[in-house]
Amino acid sequence: MSVEMNRRALLRQGASLIGAAAASSLPLASSFSQEKVRVRFAGYVESQEQLTQTLAALKLYTQKNPNVEIIPEFTSFGAFTDKIATETAGGNSPDMFSVNVDLLAEYARRGVTTPLDSYIPNPINLSDYLQSAVNAAKFDGKQYAIPNDAIGPAIITNASAFEKAGVKIPADMWTWEELAETASALNKALGPRFWGVEDAGGNYIPCDIFLRSRGKSMFTQDHRLGFELEDMEAWYAYWQKLRDTRATPPGDVQALAGNDDPSTSGVVAGRAAMNITLTDSFAGFQALTQDNLILHMMPNGFRGGEMKQRHYCYAGNSTTVSAKSANQKQVIDIIRFMHLDPDGAKTYYVGSGMIPCSKAARDAFAATGSEADRKIIAYLDVLQKEPAAPRYPGVPGMTGMLTRANEGVAFGKLTPKQAAEQFVREVSARLKK
Amino acid sequence: MDANNNVAAFVFLSPWLLGMICLTLGPILASFYLSLTSYDMFSAPKWIGFDNYIKMAFEDGRYYQSLKVTFSYVLLSVPLKLAFALGIAMLLNRGLRGLGFYRSVFYLPSLLGGSVAVAIMWRQVFSYDGIINQILMKFGIDGPSWITSTDYALYTLVALAVWQFGSPMVIFLAGLKQIPQDIYDAAEVDGAGPVRKFMSITIPMLTPIIFFNFVMQIIGAFQAFTPAYIISGGKGGPADATLFYTLYLYEQAFTNFQMGYASAMAWVLVGIIGTATAASFLSARYWVHYGDER
Repeated sequence: MSVEMNRRALLRQGASLIGAAAASSLPLASSFSQEKVRVRFAGYVESQEQLTQTLAALKLYTQKNPNVEIIPEFTSFGAFTDKIATETAGGNSPDMFSVNVDLLAEYARRGVTTPLDSYIPNPINLSDYLQSAVNAAKFDGKQYAIPNDAIGPAIITNASAFEKAGVKIPADMWTWEELAETASALNKALGPRFWGVEDAGGNYIPCDIFLRSRGKSMFTQDHRLGFELEDMEAWYAYWQKLRDTRATPPGDVQALAGNDDPSTSGVVAGRAAMNITLTDSFAGFQALTQDNLILHMMPNGFRGGEMKQRHYCYAGNSTTVSAKSANQKQVIDIIRFMHLDPDGAKTYYVGSGMIPCSKAARDAFAATGSEADRKIIAYLDVLQKEPAAPRYPGVPGMTGMLTRANEGVAFGKLTPKQAAEQFVREVSARLKK
Repeated sequence: MDANNNVAAFVFLSPWLLGMICLTLGPILASFYLSLTSYDMFSAPKWIGFDNYIKMAFEDGRYYQSLKVTFSYVLLSVPLKLAFALGIAMLLNRGLRGLGFYRSVFYLPSLLGGSVAVAIMWRQVFSYDGIINQILMKFGIDGPSWITSTDYALYTLVALAVWQFGSPMVIFLAGLKQIPQDIYDAAEVDGAGPVRKFMSITIPMLTPIIFFNFVMQIIGAFQAFTPAYIISGGKGGPADATLFYTLYLYEQAFTNFQMGYASAMAWVLVGIIGTATAASFLSARYWVHYGDER
């Protein structure tokens, strides 16, 4: 009995000992880091190549600056948006992180990130950067982020399929009506399980360009809707007409293409000749098919209406700085290194699949880059000849709203008018907040 | 002595108790508070009383769609899964050799159940050019794109749930083993056929097990998330055909930054599951027979 008591007492002692040991180990661990500046850099990447080059550039920076420790936290775009929202909410945002145009507005509006105007042009000189990209990284007239790449909207076009169908590749400046006719002709030549263009009714950028062709736009500079209900109805009716004329696949076939994943797209799977997307996916598409792909502009107007280059260039990925970061100076120096230091920029961009935002770097790429790089740069140069009005920030979750309304029409659950009403209702609710 | 015992017990329980209070109970109460606020995760929560609940009930069409999808899923997948599990358990209970092997093999899908890999595989099997359609092709049938059609997408998820019948099956198997053979023998002497034996002996003797499985499966089905998230690309599409309650909750929280609204949705879900469970328990007295009751 007494033995048992002792054993219990011993166990009790033991348990509290373990607890004490666990508690004391905490400060021990933190006494290792001495005088090192620790910077957390979170972000999203479009490809494995981009991740490799980004990490290499950061490693190079820490080799040159041994007093700095960079903790990289990179993931895919979808995972990143949830993660950054959660960390920010928990008061645990990284020192620096990637944003796109819409996220930038969302975080700048809430004071999560800090304006960087005092660091421009010294040490960060953006004078030879694509001005439309620089402007797209502004909010309320202040520079909230530094653009990392240059992208533009485009139709990735399978030239081999056009050739096989005996359909001529249209001129650069063409109308929305011509897109519908061309796509339908491709289906007639190569169908029935081949369609001209993948359904882009749920895609924000072509919708914006369609609205701009009607003299409107999706959003205005002061973050309001820039269109009327009937403009949106026309958009959904346009895609419904394309479905009816077999120019675009039916809803269930279109839904096979995942969000922005080239490997599931109709162009790669051999179901379609055209995919409306952004130039930064081009290399990914070309890597997955033997056919000859080219970049083509979307329509820039309607028959009898004004024809004008409406494709804006901007950055798909920009770096922003957390307002709460204790190491802002250090963060700025890391950005400077990745963009303006010859070694840093070379490591960051070459082989990453990103097209640099600076003119000098793009010119160097045009001479030495891959064939896909050269095609993208040539295309972006065409867009620059007659720059379009910039893209204005929208709201997060917008793609989901557009897609749902479009699928509603595609599956016969909504009329184009109801789809437009649904979209306007949902997007307005988000703008007010 | 007793006091000492209690102290020791609490010392050993303390890690779990601390975890329970800090990591479970705390957040649960916090989420109830948040459900009464407008909270976008960045700025401080604003008190709005029951506005989130009112909006849910009267203004949110997608909320009703998510309820419809979830209830359809629960009502279809739970009975089918239990029937399937019981059927397989009966087959395995015929005293065949290598029972352990079969039991493990049939249990595997459930083991992999919530995993992302299985959901991705399912997506492949039921896609436009997946194996199901290739088999149909052999018979000259041009199959639809199951997972991306509003008519079939939900049923592919029900099929996935039914295919993961392993855990109720193992429990049924244990239950079947407990039914004394002499009852069957007596029934046989009285001239009962297999159907009669099943209806009059197996089912009544198994009711406690059926009840247990039923409640567990209902709770699980209301909370289904992973397969729908993966198969619909995280959107609940096409056109909200697979917008599970949990998926919509997640979207409100992390895509739209409506954490207050999402918390309110979570509490309503607690209410729904609680009600369903309570209803099961209340009904149990009419159909569940325990062996010691006469």
